Amino acid sequence: MSENVVEIENLVKFFDGRCVLDGINLKVPRGCIYGLLGRNASGKTTIIRILLGLEPATRGRTFLLGAESTSLSAKVHGRIGYVAEGHNLIQNYKVGRVVKLCKDLSWRWNDKFFKHLIETFRLPMDRRVRQLSIGMRAQLNLSLAMAIDPELLILDDPTLGMDTVVRRQFLELAIDVIQQQGRTILFCSHILSDVERIADRIGILAAGKLVVDCPLEELKKHVKKLRVIFPGAVPSDLYLTEIINKQVQGREMVITVANWNQQKQVILETFKPSSCTEIPMSLEDIFIECTKPNPIPLPAEKQET
Amino acid sequence: MFTLIKREIEDHIVYFIGAAVLSAILIALLTSAMYHTEPGDHSVFIGLSIPVIVVLIIGCTAMGVSQIYTDRTRKISTFLSGLPVTRGRILIARIITGILAILTVLLPLTITGMALWRLFEPPIPIYSGVIFDTFMVTFLTGFACYCIGLQTSWTSSKITPTLGGLVLTCILVPLILVKGFGLHAQVILVLFIVTSLIRTWQKFMSTAI
Repeated sequence: MSENVVEIENLVKFFDGRCVLDGINLKVPRGCIYGLLGRNASGKTTIIRILLGLEPATRGRTFLLGAESTSLSAKVHGRIGYVAEGHNLIQNYKVGRVVKLCKDLSWRWNDKFFKHLIETFRLPMDRRVRQLSIGMRAQLNLSLAMAIDPELLILDDPTLGMDTVVRRQFLELAIDVIQQQGRTILFCSHILSDVERIADRIGILAAGKLVVDCPLEELKKHVKKLRVIFPGAVPSDLYLTEIINKQVQGREMVITVANWNQQKQVILETFKPSSCTEIPMSLEDIFIECTKPNPIPLPAEKQET
Repeated sequence: MFTLIKREIEDHIVYFIGAAVLSAILIALLTSAMYHTEPGDHSVFIGLSIPVIVVLIIGCTAMGVSQIYTDRTRKISTFLSGLPVTRGRILIARIITGILAILTVLLPLTITGMALWRLFEPPIPIYSGVIFDTFMVTFLTGFACYCIGLQTSWTSSKITPTLGGLVLTCILVPLILVKGFGLHAQVILVLFIVTSLIRTWQKFMSTAI
């Protein structure tokens, strides 16, 4: 059995002559919750669609559960739960009919768990899918994906349209799934607090490239935001490399530095600042810095190349 | 596979009802004609066969177009591809459904024809395989039209499938009139069906859904 549940090798995708994905390499190990982030139209959904064999790649190869995406068998599909962006459910079907169709086509179906989800989300079985709100559609899609006890759960912006309470329920469910040994989740979301809460590895897409691919803790460790107060005026040049952002106000300077290490710490201390305090950075802060037009490469990207 | 075929039938039930109604009307007309016309008078049958073939051609093309068109607008294949189903199975289920719809018209009609043949045996011996040949050519014609429907509806234009259906009607009707229901017509239709199915398969398997 393959150790990596998801593997992407040098993936390139062009849409109408425009390069959307430019040589993506990615590996998601078994049991990992991988949060794939990126701005709108950065190629997150395209990666997922190529992985599932819904979209052909221009170049490169992708694998899911050890099988190449272009030739995924029904058996492999049966081990993957998928919640699509916009929730691709058959709109004119009644909820009950969609459920029956999924149940009949699935290799495994955990009826007890599915009923529990339906009751939790209070989904009406007699209404047509198009009559459901976006949030209810998301819940239905998620319940269907979860009911097959998937080895790999692929969620493309799954909390889109959900209210705060339901979003919290969803996250708890996702945690439930991951707690079952060997389960892997690959998910995209624009709600970074959700990603921060459950992901243990992060990938950030910007300008068609995977600019970050590392564990969340490592990412937070390598990007530092510091408030430095000098006794006199702020030096014009700190001789620090890889400064992502710098703001100066009087004797105070706030800098964001990538790849923070001991050497940079020593360089900063030679300017004898009267105080130097670290400002905690959220994933959102790091994401904004990384998706700027010319992001500074972080260690993960250097590993890739 | 059975679930996929069942889903296709339920989604296109109107074609099956239409096929059953058409078959019932034709059986009634055929039986009535056998009882009321003079033996050897084939004018009624010839008069019936042309509109039947035209209705069959239009109906089958419409079904093929409808299957792909609803698939694309409702993103059915996208949804099904997230389940333990391959694209190949989705297309095979669709084609089997098309065949079943054509058989819904032709099978009862053929059985009735055979029964009437036995009841009203022609006064002079004629080729005994005539019913089978007629059934085969009519079936292949319907299936060829269904295939052209599947193939042409991949384009976003509504004019292409319509023109495709019309051109095919203009080719197939004279072909049957000239070649009759013999082996030649069957071979030409089989070749056409195989080519059309290969192209549809290739398109369905490789395109983004």
